[in-house]
Amino acid sequence: MNRRLLPTTVVGSYPKPNWLRRLIREYEKGEISDKVMRRAYDDAVKAVVKEQELAGVDILWDGEMRRDEMTSYFARRIEGFTIYGEVRVWGNNYYPKPAIVDELRYKDELAVSDYKFLRKITDHEIKVPITGPYTLVDWSFNEYYRTREEAVYALAEVINQELRRLVDEGANYIQIDDPAVPTHPEEIEVAKNSIEIVTRGVNAYIGMHMCYGDYSKIYPEILEFNVDQIDLEFANRGFKDVEIFKEYEFTKDLGFGCIDVHTRRIESVEEIKDNIRKAFSIVEPKRVYVDPDCGLKLLPSEVAFEKLRNMCQAARELREELEG
Amino acid sequence: MSRVIPTTVGSYPRPPWFREYLRKVEGLQKEGGGGIDEATYAKAVAEVIREQRDAGVKVFTDGQLLWHDLLCYLATRIDGFEMNGLVRYFDNNLYYRIPKVKARLERKRNIIVDEFRVAYSIEREMKAVLSCFTLATLSEDEFYGNKADLVMDIAHIMNQEAKELVKRGAKYIQIDEPSLLYAEKEDLSIMKDAIEVIRQDVDAKFFLVTYFSDAERIFPEVLDFNVDVIGLDFVEGYEKNLDLLREYGVDKEIQAGVVDGRTTKMEDEEQVRRKVEAIDEIVDGETLYVSPNTGLEFLPYSKASEKLKVLCRSVGDINE
Repeated sequence: MNRRLLPTTVVGSYPKPNWLRRLIREYEKGEISDKVMRRAYDDAVKAVVKEQELAGVDILWDGEMRRDEMTSYFARRIEGFTIYGEVRVWGNNYYPKPAIVDELRYKDELAVSDYKFLRKITDHEIKVPITGPYTLVDWSFNEYYRTREEAVYALAEVINQELRRLVDEGANYIQIDDPAVPTHPEEIEVAKNSIEIVTRGVNAYIGMHMCYGDYSKIYPEILEFNVDQIDLEFANRGFKDVEIFKEYEFTKDLGFGCIDVHTRRIESVEEIKDNIRKAFSIVEPKRVYVDPDCGLKLLPSEVAFEKLRNMCQAARELREELEG
Repeated sequence: MSRVIPTTVGSYPRPPWFREYLRKVEGLQKEGGGGIDEATYAKAVAEVIREQRDAGVKVFTDGQLLWHDLLCYLATRIDGFEMNGLVRYFDNNLYYRIPKVKARLERKRNIIVDEFRVAYSIEREMKAVLSCFTLATLSEDEFYGNKADLVMDIAHIMNQEAKELVKRGAKYIQIDEPSLLYAEKEDLSIMKDAIEVIRQDVDAKFFLVTYFSDAERIFPEVLDFNVDVIGLDFVEGYEKNLDLLREYGVDKEIQAGVVDGRTTKMEDEEQVRRKVEAIDEIVDGETLYVSPNTGLEFLPYSKASEKLKVLCRSVGDINE
């Protein structure tokens, strides 16, 4: 891939426009047709892609306008899952927790049509994020497989099929979202094997995104994962975790989460430049990808935009400084 | 054969309409809180009590429907705590705000008394659920600088609360202590003393309940704790807990968590029944409480009652 220094990217999600939320509610009540809803999603993607382009993002995604949430969205499209209802994550936040009730099988594409649509409307490089099998299983009930491990590997085969299809369609950068991995260091081997299966025969640049959890418990083990880049959050914990990665040579590209998605405060360009420089103590600048800690969907869209714009400006200025 | 009594551990998933209601009045952010209408709350409590009763439960909990931070919810009602960033609750995909101890802890208002009053007006066989050691362990102490002092102050607060609860009719006080299963030996002596404090002048039946793991680390010390019932997780630690009971014997009653509160997979009733019989053979308390191993809020609403029905059916005719 053609890489500039410090490419800027997003983790995936972007705030949904208010009008889209309203339409989704109406759609769920059966008040508008599939066709109108599909058009609305397309329009929302166009708007969100334009925003990312205006902010200066180099490698982008469609903001996950069509995805309600990162577990159930995929589970609904894979044979063997069912969803009984919502389960709490914290406070008043819930998600529809899937249950594995039968053999997991590839049923329908998960991101191929999203990718194809996006390809038509932007010239930018595209990254396709997809939730990893380890996380999907960890965040689901397992009623069918004897062990979690078996379920993870079965699901890895399904995701592998999807990634191959994506590559056939032209995708060259795929991000596996696996936030559950750092939360179960005791199962790191299972996670590693799952990535092995997921990436088998997939000829693309592979990133792996992990947020939350205690990174010190999975480092340096994650360097053995069959991926090109590891993307992590740093701003959320005030960059304390940078120390963890200095201990061993970081042998992958680093996706460096440098703005905090859990606060509405807009970091200044200078502040973000300082943040990004911290990445250089882990790997040399040419291995650094600049992005927010995580998806932006929980922020008001004007805040998300300002944060992204400052992030991209910071990367641009640093790039110029480094290239002299 | 003991009398077998089905009970619940604590949390129950919120009825979907109440979940939506809370989302509306409290929002989604960490700040949250405020403005909950008591009649609406009472209706939700009545509903989860009815769900338990219909399934066959005999000793109830109120479902902890307002407890955003799991056991750490208790900290939100105690002066001296401040709630901070989100962290994972044990090995669950469930998060709570870390309580930070900023000043000497004090009970300046009711903790769960008001909730208990609502539940008790609907159902008299109601457990009141508190916590002490776990609350201390899951908190970040920036004031006491030593765990024993922190635990003891919480114990005094829980004692005051327990007295209030008994005044309002409580017959059963349950102390939830999952953290004890991961504790050091010296913590056990702290907790032993703490229980004496919590119980002082409180005329109620005391349950000390553990879950998420086997109880190897608390045996045999826990047998000397001044409680009437010990709750053990016979899902995560079935063989180990049986061994412990065999090895050390137990002269207290047991609350046995025999169905998995964290999976929608329903147990085979015959197997659960055999499990209960195996436990009953070892313990000789007058009563054997049986329950899910954990609170039920890990499940979608419809699956919680299904799980309780499996539990109750599997011991259905055991008393006859």
